[in-house]
Formats: sequence, C-alpha cells, structure tokens
Amino acid sequence: MTSLLDIQNLKLNFKTVQGQVEVLHGIDININAGEKVALVGESGSGKSVTARIILGLLQELRQARISGEVYFDGRDINTMKPKDCAKLRGTAMSMIFQDPTSSLNPVITIGQQFTEVLRRRNNKLAQAICDEQATRMLNDVAIPDAQRVLNAYPFQLSGGMNQRVMIAMALANRPKLLLADEPGTALDVSVQAQTLTLMRELVNDYQTAVLLISHNLGVVREFADRVYVIYQGRIVEDGPTSALFANPKHAYTQALMNAVPRIVGTGLAKVPEVSDAFLAPRITHSDVT
Amino acid sequence: MSAVIRLLLRRLGISVIVLIGVSMLIFAIARVIPGDPARIALGPNAKAEQIASLRAQMHLDESLPVQYGHFLADLSRGDLGISLYTNRPVTKDIAQFLPATLELVFCAGIIMIMLGLPLGILAARYRGRWPDHLIRVLSLVTVSAPGFVWAVILMLLFAFYLPLFPIAGRLNDSFDIARVTGFLTIDTLLAGDFAAFTDALHHLVLPAIALSLSGIGQAARLTRANMVETYNKPYIEMAQAYGFFPSRIARIYAFKPSLIPSLTIIGLDFAAMLGNAFLVEAVFAWPGLSRYGVAVILRKDLNAIMGTVLIIAITFLIVNIIVDLLIAFLNPRIRHSARGSA
Amino acid sequence: MIRAMRILASNPLSLVGLLLVLLITFAAIFAPWLAPFPTHNGAVIDFAFANKGPSARNWMGTDLVGRDIFSRILYAYQISLMLGIVVLAIATPVGTAIGLIAGYVGGWTGSILMRIVDVFLSIPPLVLAIAMMGVLEPTLTNAMLAVTVMWWPWYARLVYSIARSEREEGYVLAAEVIGAGTMHIAFREILPNCLPAIITKMTLDMGFVIIIASSLSFLGLGVQPPTADLGSMVAEGARYLPDSWWLTVFPGLAILVAVFGFNLLGDGLRDILGVDE
Repeated sequence: MTSLLDIQNLKLNFKTVQGQVEVLHGIDININAGEKVALVGESGSGKSVTARIILGLLQELRQARISGEVYFDGRDINTMKPKDCAKLRGTAMSMIFQDPTSSLNPVITIGQQFTEVLRRRNNKLAQAICDEQATRMLNDVAIPDAQRVLNAYPFQLSGGMNQRVMIAMALANRPKLLLADEPGTALDVSVQAQTLTLMRELVNDYQTAVLLISHNLGVVREFADRVYVIYQGRIVEDGPTSALFANPKHAYTQALMNAVPRIVGTGLAKVPEVSDAFLAPRITHSDVT
Repeated sequence: MSAVIRLLLRRLGISVIVLIGVSMLIFAIARVIPGDPARIALGPNAKAEQIASLRAQMHLDESLPVQYGHFLADLSRGDLGISLYTNRPVTKDIAQFLPATLELVFCAGIIMIMLGLPLGILAARYRGRWPDHLIRVLSLVTVSAPGFVWAVILMLLFAFYLPLFPIAGRLNDSFDIARVTGFLTIDTLLAGDFAAFTDALHHLVLPAIALSLSGIGQAARLTRANMVETYNKPYIEMAQAYGFFPSRIARIYAFKPSLIPSLTIIGLDFAAMLGNAFLVEAVFAWPGLSRYGVAVILRKDLNAIMGTVLIIAITFLIVNIIVDLLIAFLNPRIRHSARGSA
Repeated sequence: MIRAMRILASNPLSLVGLLLVLLITFAAIFAPWLAPFPTHNGAVIDFAFANKGPSARNWMGTDLVGRDIFSRILYAYQISLMLGIVVLAIATPVGTAIGLIAGYVGGWTGSILMRIVDVFLSIPPLVLAIAMMGVLEPTLTNAMLAVTVMWWPWYARLVYSIARSEREEGYVLAAEVIGAGTMHIAFREILPNCLPAIITKMTLDMGFVIIIASSLSFLGLGVQPPTADLGSMVAEGARYLPDSWWLTVFPGLAILVAVFGFNLLGDGLRDILGVDE
C-alpha cells in the first residue's frame, strides 16, 4: 500500500553568520493513512524542524537549504510551489502546538478564529454554518457550552480549554495528517493526559494519521502505533511501539529510557553527555512482533 | 462597558492632576525668570506709573503663591487675561486662531495614519526583503528633517515649479463663507458652497502633507517594529500552519495585536504635530495659532504665551485620553476585565 | 567589538550613517580651514556677489549680502553639534538618575517623580521650548537651556520603564538578598542594563536635537544673526522663493543630511546592541 507521508533522505542546512550548519543528516520517515506515529528525541534533535518541513513552512525561509523528498499523498512538498503547498495546510494537514494559549491569537475571538479555519476549505461558507460546525466540533472535544467559548478570547479560557479548542480547530476540516508538536507540554500533567486521550479518540474516529512529536516517552508509549527515535538529526531506531519499548536496541534509545525517573525511587539515572555508541547506525525493528 | 468608563474616569482624574502641574510649570516659566514681566511687556520707554499700574493689575506685587492663586482662580473662570498685543481677552484670540491649527493637525494626523500604518504593515510583511529596505530608508528620510524643510521643498516643487496647489492661505478671497466652527472644510459645507469646500481642501493638501511627513515615517517604523516582534509569536506560526494568505496574516493576525502598543506613540506623534504646526504654518502663511504665538512671543506678551501653551497642553491631554480609550476598546483584555476569566 | 564590526559591515546603511556622522563632525571641527570663505560666518557684506546662484566660486550660491552659503553651512554645523552635545550631556544624566530612582525605589518618591515627568511630557516638546524661549532672551545658551529642560523627561521615562522590569530580575533579587545598598543596586546593577538603550537613544536624539534647535532658530527664537544657523538661514531665504531657491534648499538639505546620518547610525546601533524599539 502507498503511504500517506513518505520522507526520503531529508537533509536540512541552515545558513548562519558562521557558515553552513547541517541540522538534519538525511532522515527517512513513513506514515500510512490513519496511522499514529511518534517522533521521539531530545530538544535540538531536529524533530520540530521536521514538522515544519512537512508543512512546507521552512521551505519559505531563505536561510534554509532542504534536499531529499517529502511525499505527501503522492506529491513532493519540497518541489511544490509555495502557493500549492499553502493550499494543503489547514485542509489536508494541520498542526497542534505546544502552548495552546499563546498559539491562539489574543485579540480575535475563538469564534472568529474558528470561522477562518473552516473557510480554509470553503471560503464562501456562511457565518451561521461556520458557527454550527464549530459548535459541533467543540461538543466533540467535550466542551458543552460552546456558544460561550466561541464568544470568548483565549485569555478568558483555561489552558486545558484552549487545548481542546485547538484540537477541535485542527480536526475541523478532517485533515489526512495531523502534526502534534509536544501537544500540551505547557499544561498540567493531568490536563495533558485528558486532552491527549480526547485527541486519540477523535483521530481514531476520523481516521486521521498523526505524527506526534515528543520527548515524553510515557505519552509516546500510550499514544503511538509506531515510533521513530531521532538523535542529532539522524533516525537511530524505529519500529512498532511495543517492540521498541520491549527491546530497545540502540544505545541512545536505551539511555533515553533509562533517563526517565521512576516513581519507585531508584534515583536519577546516569546518562552520558555524549557517547560514540549514540552515533551507531540505525536499527529498524521488523513490523511483526 | 463599565471597565471602559472606570478607565475614563481614572484618566480624567490623572489628567486634572497633570493639568495642575502644567499650570504650575507654565506659571513658573512665566514668573520665575529674571526680569519684571510688566517692564518687559511695556518696553524700555515705559513710565514708572504705567509699570506700577500694570504690576498691580497682574498681581505682581504679591507673593508667588498668591499670584499663582490668582492665576488658578482666573483660569477656573475660563479667564486667561488680556493679551497685551491684541488688547483682547486671550481666550477670544485663541478661539479665533485655534480652529485653523486644529484643522491642519487633524488632516495631517489622518494622512499619517492612512499612509504610515499600511507602509509599516508592508515592510513587516516583506521584512528583510527589498520593500522593507525601501520603506525603511524612505521613512528614515522623512523623519530626518523638520516640518519647515518639507514645507519649503513641497512648496517649491508643487506650488511653484508644478503649480498644482496654492502657495499660501486657507481659502481663496473670492469665497465669502460664514465662520461657524472655524473649520473651513466644515463651514463651507454648512454654507452649501461645494466650490469653496474643494478650494479649502486644495489649500490644505501641501501644509498637511508637510506636517505629516515625519509622522508617516515614525508611524511606519513603529508599526513595522511592533509587527516584526509579533511575527515571532506562536499564534503567527499557527496561522501559517493553517495556510492563511500571507497578506491576510499581515493585515489581521500580526497587525491587530501590534496596533495596541503602537497607538500610544502614534497619539504622541499626533500631539507633537501641534508644535510642528508652528513651523509649517509659518511657511504657508496659515492663519493659525502659530502666527499669533510667534507674534506674542516676540512681544513678550506673558498672558497670551501662557494661554497658548495651556490650550495646547489641554488639547494634548484630550488626544491622549482618546487614544487610551481607543486602546481599551481595541484590547479585549481591558474591555472584558470586568467579566473576569472563565 | 569584533561582532559589532561584523554587524556594522553587514549592514551597509549603518556604515553610511557612521560615515555621514564622521564627515559632518570633521567638517564642523575644521570649518575654519575647510570653508572657502572663513570670514563669512559673521557680519560680512559683499554686494558684488549678493544673491547669486550656485557657481564654481560659490558651490551653493551666496545669500542676500553676498556671503558664501557653503561656508556658512559648515559653521552652522558647529553650532548644531555643540548644541546637541551640550543638551544631551546634561539631559541624559539628569533624566537617567531620576528614572533609575523612580523605577527602582518606587513608592511615593517614584510616583511623585514620574508625575513631574508626566507634566513635562504633556506639553509637545517644541511648544515647551518655544514657550521658554518666549520669556528668555534668544541666545545660544538659552536655547540650550530650553531644549535641555524639555529633554530630560524622555530619558527619565525610558530608564524608568527598564528599571521597573529589571527590578524583578534574578540578579537584582540576588543583590538584595546579600544586602547591597539601594544606590549600589540602582547605579551598579541596574544602570549597566539600561546603557544600550540610553546610547541608542542618544545617537537618535542627536538628530532630533538638531531638528528642534533649528526649528527654534527658524522661528527666530534661537541663535541670532549674524551667526550662521541652519534654521535661521532657511527662514531668511523662505521669503525669496522660488527665485533664490538656493537660500533655503541647501541649508534645509544640510539639516536633512546631518539628521539622516545620526538616524542611520542610531538604527544600526540598535541592532548591534540588541535594543527594543
């Protein structure tokens, strides 16, 4: 079967005052329709820029040099015209950001922002229909008093509420792919868990494929079907979630898992700053476990 | 709405305090300087009894606090004293000359906003690329010369070499318009004389542009700077991730939040035009407060000087209150502060 | 320093600004040697060459009594630069000290100081200077005094707002915890963090002071004839437009070039020092 997203040998260079810096050294990622995939790594490993390349945002930056192929639905985003690429954003793919409250515009009401999102698919959509669809979407993310929320500004709502709004907006146009960059990291752990559960139920219902970007192994294990581990711009290990968690083979993945503090009180793990073993070649678990 | 009314009352309260301070400052400038105001006003050839009677009339023989008390008491009755230059009440003089200045400043302010904000938006939208560089250099040029230099250059180019606009004045002498508001653009319309209205506008163009040029540059630079900062906010990235048109992101998502911090400064620029109007009015022989102000200053007419400065300070404070209310209206955080968070 | 040079080099506009500022400073300092007619700064009359347009002898023409306009512009730069330097040398420390105390100490002292600042700021800058010159004799010293009096509140407000936000920073709290004195914290801990903003503002303000000072003399309230001043040169020539255009256009452009130079340099400094607008 052909995959929804197929990234092959993706490289990213940034031009800085000091010269060229290579951020991604040729990564391959594959996501099938409706599949939930996680990209795990520490901050600075290149996971967030990957999401922005998939959206076609980084391509517009003049300092960025990108090579390789990013096939979305059979078309290469890297060679697409910026205008055509913009047509995919907000319709065929959408994104959820880290901090919901600062990702919603502070001076525009939730209702107006929702309308703008819905009109990405059909810009002649009547206001009444937009309101109706927005209300239905908000009900889907367990917001009962949708009318009040639509008339509110983001600062009037709690972080968890804004996160639900953002999930509703992201899924409103039934995208094929949802990019979730550290969703809810800025929220309380309990609120983050609630909203993640909600998001998982919805993407299952809508058959939306997800690329979850996270450094939180607990979240990844609960959410994803398959996992890619990224370290310093390289994929070091990938495979089905259960296989990878049961038997991490790459030294970096092992270190990452040891670094998670356990609630049983065995103390903080010792993780080396750098290790030659972290740079070992990629290990791929077979798809059958 | 009650939050906005509370804000209005607070601002009015602060303005009254500031206004009292301004009256003290003006009083201090007028009285604490060396020299006898009466002698200065009457000139070196005045007789001793003339000076004595004027001193008594101006309460100059009493202590400074008492003098200030008299000044305040007169002020509260709307009495700014008699101008030694025109021999009329200063309030009458100001009422005659202020509307011309306000009309000019108001037009210049509109031009500043209509051109300055869109140029700033354009520069921010194409930040780092050639439209940005072009607008940056142009706006830097416009803020680099005082109003009278622009007035002279515009007059030379568009009144003499290309005689598109009149050289001086507010209205052609052939029109006889009853002065109701003192704003000729309004008075001509009230008189139903459309030809006179066009003529009044025609006279306004060059002085208003000369007065607004540095404001345009200032507004464009400020809008650009605030918007570039806004462009780094997560909600802009979110708007980009949703594929909104870049021009729409610029006009709505980035401009709206940036407008609020810009407005205070734009209000200050607007008010600064009250001072700069002195320069432009002089070049275009605009019969406003400037001609009067310079005349009374050269004659050391203290009552008129104090009155003129006070009126300008009051206008300035009113502009600031309007700007603050506008900010409160545009900023949902202030507008909805009464309702609290959900 | 090396980083600053690199940013300056990569930003050709600020380099142009620096060159303009250096050129104008050089011209002002060496005016007596550079000016083709060094005596034309004062009351010289040469009716044979009166009111002549630009020529090989007088690059920018001559004024109504035959003085060389180019020479007078060079001398006028002396007045403008000196005025700017004196005004900022007084207004900046005064405003900075008041802003620091009001911002860091706060409380009643701070409120009263800032209300006084508000009073000064609620009169348009030029109007306050005009009012002061209205009661003072129009001399260079008085013009400096009037512009200084209207200038310090802007520094007070700038430093006040920075000091207010710095007051909550960790390094200030740390200094308070180890028992440093109020004055030590204000002037040794907070002040260095205000310096980039102050230096940037001073550079931009050099241009702005030149504008205000020339405006005063344009209205006849500043430096008096026969001393050469850019503002009064424009005012004298404005009556002879459009025929004797050189009387106004060259002094006007001289103001524009000088202020533009300081503005370009100030803009570049803002980028180098990382100051918010």
